[in-house]
Amino acid sequence: MEYVNPEGLRLDGRRFNEMRQIVAEVGVVSKADGSAVFEMGNTKVIAAVYGPREIQNKSQQKKNDHAVVLCEYSMAQFSTGDRRRQKFDRRSTELSLVIRQTMEACILTELMPHSQIDIFLQVLQGDGGTRSACINAATLALADAGIPMRDLAVSCSAGYLNSTPLLDLNYVEDSAGGADVTVGILPKLDKVSLLQMDAKLPMETFETVFALASEGCKAIAERIREVLQENTKQLEYRRAA
Amino acid sequence: MGLADSSQDLSTEMEVDAFRRIFPLRFFERHLSESLRPDGRQLGKARDTIVNLGLVSTADGSALAKIGSTTMLAAIRMEVMTPSTDSPDEGCIALEFHMPPICSPTVRPGRPADAAPVISKRLSDTILSSGMIDLKELCLVSGKAAWMGYLDIYCLDADGALFDAALLSAVAAFSNLQIPVVALNDNGRIVAITGGKDQDNASITEKEAVNKEKRKLTLKNIPFSLTCILHKNYILADPTTEEESIMDTLVTVVLDSSDQMVSFYKSGGTALAYSSAIKSCIELARKRAKELKQILGEMDID
Repeated sequence: MEYVNPEGLRLDGRRFNEMRQIVAEVGVVSKADGSAVFEMGNTKVIAAVYGPREIQNKSQQKKNDHAVVLCEYSMAQFSTGDRRRQKFDRRSTELSLVIRQTMEACILTELMPHSQIDIFLQVLQGDGGTRSACINAATLALADAGIPMRDLAVSCSAGYLNSTPLLDLNYVEDSAGGADVTVGILPKLDKVSLLQMDAKLPMETFETVFALASEGCKAIAERIREVLQENTKQLEYRRAA
Repeated sequence: MGLADSSQDLSTEMEVDAFRRIFPLRFFERHLSESLRPDGRQLGKARDTIVNLGLVSTADGSALAKIGSTTMLAAIRMEVMTPSTDSPDEGCIALEFHMPPICSPTVRPGRPADAAPVISKRLSDTILSSGMIDLKELCLVSGKAAWMGYLDIYCLDADGALFDAALLSAVAAFSNLQIPVVALNDNGRIVAITGGKDQDNASITEKEAVNKEKRKLTLKNIPFSLTCILHKNYILADPTTEEESIMDTLVTVVLDSSDQMVSFYKSGGTALAYSSAIKSCIELARKRAKELKQILGEMDID
């Protein structure tokens, strides 16, 4: 199947280095300490952060010198085009762990001992790149909750089909069987927090795809910064009024 | 005696927020005596309600309903199944209500919220008994194939009156539902027609399209609900989570579009209701049903 036509256009009309449209909004769940909705094309994810609050599971209280971070990833029953999925399958458990570790690296947990930070992620619509959308949504939600972080954690995916590196794969491109590289970086510190790949790629190709994904991450970081600055302005207006 | 006096003294010295947290009942009663609530609403008034349709493109029908801050997202997916032998001409609806941990600080991961299965059952009973949907419309081939509609409602923000918002989102999702087009192929199996390509058009003449075009369900007797709190001789319509946590007697009235009562629910609580209170609740529900009918009417839902 042709994923990139001879003119260089993909199935949805994008070029190889174009991302899908991003829509991001902060403060959508009134009951949460911090919340955000993040959309990358048709992938829609909602994140809610509760914390820092008292540790609810006493058995986790042994780590006293820094905060405990909990993360739960779940997909809504109607989120994919396939049949209804089981609520907690292995994939959800793996993703919960991966996202938790990515965010834990970026939160300054030493500043909040004896407490727990909960990050809940709900995928409302899945069209590829849910992992990345979740990390971006979690970053926005943590910022909305005022939790101190080293840097923004942003994530983007890239792949390699029809001998072309492609940025931000959607579901069809992801299930094509080519490589899928997900990168999570801390942009200001220029450090890689998450790197996952399934498939075989020659080393040079991998470096090209990785560089493309990192470029994508930087663009998303710009967008997230804009959203947070706009949100801060709104808060300022409301406080002045 | 001692407690009442001390709170009176403290109330003049304390900040409003602290008083609200420490003496919540007195805080509310001070407002109720002026026929108001802390958010400025009249006792019988519900919060601002918004309904949006068709948000989830992967579903066959979806709706988002917001009553104040309470947000519910409902989506329906249709699948083909074999109908049971005692009702070969009828389809089926399976309803599930989820309260994911994002909606409230009291919901812990791994442990479903206490309220979720209760609301799930009540919603299921209300929708089926109201007769809003004619299950015979979900039949494809009598005795062999019928539609099974999976309705999933997710609470994205829990701020009181969960049943009302969930019912509203379910009704709106059904009105947005478009039944996919399918055909019966040679093996007697139902296959989906995605439509548009030439090859499909040619083979459609061999397969007989079981339903001609994407169609909507006819909804009659749409149910509308209102939850109220009974406290002493006050009746508060459409409570928030804070109000529900302090005053525990909840009454839910469900009426349909022809003003008939579909369901009444009062499950205990410290306040025992006189029949006059019940009648007032029903009156408030009637007014609310008119409001909701208007809101749905603005979105072209009959």
